[in-house]
Amino acid sequence: MEGSRPLRILRDLAAITVTGLFMFPIFWWALTSIKPISAVFDKDRVNFFDFVPTFINYGVTLFGQSRSQLAIDEGLGMGVAGADAYDSRQSILESIIISLGATTITMAVSVFAAYAISRMAFRGRGHYLNWVLGQRFMPPIAILVPLVTIYKTAGLRDTDNLYMGYLGLMMIYALMNLPIAVLLMKSFLDDVPKDVDEAAMIDGATRWQTFRKVVLPMVKGGVAASAVLVFIFSWTEFLLSLFLTTDIRTVPVKIQTFVTSTGNEWGFIAALGTAAIIPSFIFILLVQKHLVRGLTLGSLKE
Amino acid sequence: MSFKDHDKLTFIADAARDFSARRISKRDFLKKMSLAGVGFSAFNLGLLGSTRPSRNRSFGIGDAAYAQDADVTKWLKDVSGPFKGTKIRYTSEATPPTVVLDKLKGEFTEATGIEVEIEIVPLEQVLAKATQDVQGQLGSYDLYYLDQSWVATFAQDTVDPIAYYKEKPDLAMPGMDWDDFSKPLVDGLAVYDGHWVGIPFDIPIMVTMYRKDILEKHKIAPPNTVDEFVAAVKMITEAEKANGMYGTGLQAKSGHYSLECDWTQVVWNNGGSIFTKDKKFSGNDEAAVGGLKIYQELLKNAPPESTNSTWDGQFQMMASGQCALVNSWDEFFPGLDADGSKVQGLWECKRPIRGASYRSPGDAGFGEIPNPAHQGGSILGLSKYSKNVDAAWIFMQWACSKDIMTRCTLGGGFAPMRISSFNDPRVKAKEVVGPGTTRHLPIVLETINNDMASEPDMPLWAGFSNNEIPVALGKLLTGQDYGGDAKKCMDDVAAQIDKAVAEAGL
Amino acid sequence: MSSNTASLLPRETASPESKRGWLPSWLSSEHPFPWLFPAAALMVVFGIYPLLYALTLSLYKKNAATRKMVFAPDHNWTKILSDERVWNALFNTFLYTGIALVFQLVLGMLIALLLDSDRKGYGILRAMMTLPLVIPPAVTAMMFLLMLNGSFGVLSRGLIAMGLLPTGFSILGNASTAMAGVLLAEIWQWTPFMVLIMLAGLRSLPKEPFEAAAIDGASGVQAFFRLTLPMMSKVIAIAVLIRGIDLFRAFDYVKVMTDSGPGTATETLTSYAGRIYFGNADFPYASTIALLTLIIVIVVSSAFMKAFKVKL
Repeated sequence: MEGSRPLRILRDLAAITVTGLFMFPIFWWALTSIKPISAVFDKDRVNFFDFVPTFINYGVTLFGQSRSQLAIDEGLGMGVAGADAYDSRQSILESIIISLGATTITMAVSVFAAYAISRMAFRGRGHYLNWVLGQRFMPPIAILVPLVTIYKTAGLRDTDNLYMGYLGLMMIYALMNLPIAVLLMKSFLDDVPKDVDEAAMIDGATRWQTFRKVVLPMVKGGVAASAVLVFIFSWTEFLLSLFLTTDIRTVPVKIQTFVTSTGNEWGFIAALGTAAIIPSFIFILLVQKHLVRGLTLGSLKE
Repeated sequence: MSFKDHDKLTFIADAARDFSARRISKRDFLKKMSLAGVGFSAFNLGLLGSTRPSRNRSFGIGDAAYAQDADVTKWLKDVSGPFKGTKIRYTSEATPPTVVLDKLKGEFTEATGIEVEIEIVPLEQVLAKATQDVQGQLGSYDLYYLDQSWVATFAQDTVDPIAYYKEKPDLAMPGMDWDDFSKPLVDGLAVYDGHWVGIPFDIPIMVTMYRKDILEKHKIAPPNTVDEFVAAVKMITEAEKANGMYGTGLQAKSGHYSLECDWTQVVWNNGGSIFTKDKKFSGNDEAAVGGLKIYQELLKNAPPESTNSTWDGQFQMMASGQCALVNSWDEFFPGLDADGSKVQGLWECKRPIRGASYRSPGDAGFGEIPNPAHQGGSILGLSKYSKNVDAAWIFMQWACSKDIMTRCTLGGGFAPMRISSFNDPRVKAKEVVGPGTTRHLPIVLETINNDMASEPDMPLWAGFSNNEIPVALGKLLTGQDYGGDAKKCMDDVAAQIDKAVAEAGL
Repeated sequence: MSSNTASLLPRETASPESKRGWLPSWLSSEHPFPWLFPAAALMVVFGIYPLLYALTLSLYKKNAATRKMVFAPDHNWTKILSDERVWNALFNTFLYTGIALVFQLVLGMLIALLLDSDRKGYGILRAMMTLPLVIPPAVTAMMFLLMLNGSFGVLSRGLIAMGLLPTGFSILGNASTAMAGVLLAEIWQWTPFMVLIMLAGLRSLPKEPFEAAAIDGASGVQAFFRLTLPMMSKVIAIAVLIRGIDLFRAFDYVKVMTDSGPGTATETLTSYAGRIYFGNADFPYASTIALLTLIIVIVVSSAFMKAFKVKL
């Protein structure tokens, strides 16, 4: 399918151009994060590289730098920064804890469910799958008020107990991600021939032992790929996190705090926004091969 | 060395190394980096350190000279014993006093052992979260930040601070001096139905701001009336459009409270009001529609992006030199004057433009006061559902004390609540062009005392001002509906609002 | 729940030689119950319970002044029928979902075909293509808000410079163009997801039919329409289903970029529910609108699954 040399070059060029177009907004965002504000809001022209770069946006959001601390150190003058409000390290940590926790819970329950769906014949199998998919139908805004009230009663609010607050958010993220995780895992498990299970069981292994010792190791890559997608969806979620927690502020919620009554902190938004890409991107790179296999979601099997 | 300090040092070192390679001295780079106007909003630009150490050096709120008053510290220590280790929370928009307070709260925690968590979110999310809290009586928050337009909505959910101050003499902060709060602010913001819902905390108010250089260039006198303002705006657009400058800039984002603020102001300036004294919506009467037509005129002389701009966009228009005359929030001023600002020292302010006549408050409904200066003030309210009422009460008194309020003003150059702050020598001394300037404050004080308006005090107002009114206005101004007919638009709003008011049984 | 557990009975009787005699058979690993239970419990506690709560809420009428809730089962549901904004939002929701789906599907397929190569460097391109996926949608929205600013935005300025738009034109501040602006962000962020799904599909296709076609002298285009597309139809169907469900409930972009505006030009069902929720604090009515969204998603996706024989 590769065709002649000029055609190949044409294809290479097209591929690079298209990828470049999709990269542009991210490049621009990263560029904005190191621009002085006067270069971002320049009424006369669009500034590409004609500015003195600054790293203070990263200093303030990621290194706890006080915005005027530099001026103080230099003996230039005084002013207080309110930098504490923009220091986002705590949020990054909280986001990581919640995303990892949610991913663990999601994967734990969905690998089991997917195994049963893939391997066992039982009545209501189709209904069960539809029920799982149905979890994705719910608009989060519909359950905000119910969840806040239920969480209050159940003690899952972070204002009552910080750890329960973490757990509460993880649980709802687990629910939200259940459909994609189950479908993906089912797809990966379907790829493993059933003969494998049968052989193991003939040798006297129980279902559990078969699953644990034989099948699970064969879908490790699939588990990793699914886990990464779940991690990303948890990392990027905004609305539920905004309403279910008060002391815990995940990164997307934190960025909203840069929208102030006297204007948006565009520099901070860009800096934290750019930085927030990195963890998920590393994960996605690690599992890309598997992801590209599993995302048919089982539709190519009979 | 703490982690924070270590990071800071490495950060500085790294930055300096990067730049020495480009033959920029460390000093120059640092100066540029911190002072050249880096990614900050109006308020934060205002906070940046000054390049004039000799003059401004001693006016920072973090300086030793302004460390906590010893008496206050002692009182905090005495009174807070039983509350050590409790945590109090409040949710707020990122307004200047809140952001500065977030910085200062460490002093409070140090003295009392009471932790303070300030949850900062955009305005409408504050409303949603606070509403949820009172609806379910959750007690998640101990203090509420209440915008003036919601005060009536939350009046039943807070503890009257004046009454509580008397009721709990053992917790009363000495030298609170309630009479020091500016009277118009107390009446306009805090009092509803005869009692205090909270303590005045922030007062952005509309003043008229103009580019001195541009007006001089075209030999236009700073406008005093609406007619003069409109004429000047048109003239400047015509003359300067080729240079990318418009007469004015607006905060006309559809469906946003900012558009509603602009609208009430033009209605009042044209002798109209939002409600009549028999509680009917009157935004569709002749005076009000006339005002809206003027706004449509102004929009033609503003950057097109105005229809997608809130106060953020409007400030950027002013700071980037896109407009020359604006009737809007005084809070922009310190940011405009910041170092590195393209327009430093070029903007001036004066009391807001006046219409020919104003409807008397007696002829308007729901306690509305039509006047030239729309205000977007807010109060700090003590939640009835709080489980730590007393700890929160100690913090609230501390946050609203003379010392803290004055230092908040010094930190950001925004208008104070207390008369004593306006007259504080430190505040006076900052009345010069520069970051965190207070040179607009005398005008602001005059405006508060003479021109301050007030939106209707009614429980439904939070909804109308955030949804029905600005959405219909958005349809009109962006050509989605009504074919540019202001009257038709307002008739539509009137029908919706009168129905909702009747349904609520007001 | 009860009907579901009842239906989980095994079709074949559990394995004859139960390895753990001390457990009842339905708790042994041979029975599907222990495998399915954790996910089911999660769905009941955090899914069904809040849903029932929301349903109950929608049966109440809230007095906007006193905040008192009165049981009035028909109030919100009749109000929804007569509310013009609901109909407008419904139309916009379908428009948004439809346009985004078409673009994401076509672009996703084309880009997947383009990047589906084992030659050097293509792995890197595929990896870069996934970058947009990891950005929080609320942040993407801020990003496009800035880039589409008529005065300062790089995209708007670019279009203006090309003479496609008048000077200073505000894409998001104009009723006729705002939807396109919001869709741009949506399409940019989620096309890569389609690319991944399509790549997964392409890579799992058997090689032989293509080799045979090549010997028969079929062109690449012919092979695509005669072989690739039919073989990929199931992948495409499931991709449309998954994306369609998400698109129908999309919230962050509209909320942050236009907040349903200008006027109601970009108001979708969920963003309208959001306005009622945030602005008017009428929780029962907001719930009703959100539940309407849920009902439509269920109906449309069931019909779709039937029509295209999508089997999960």
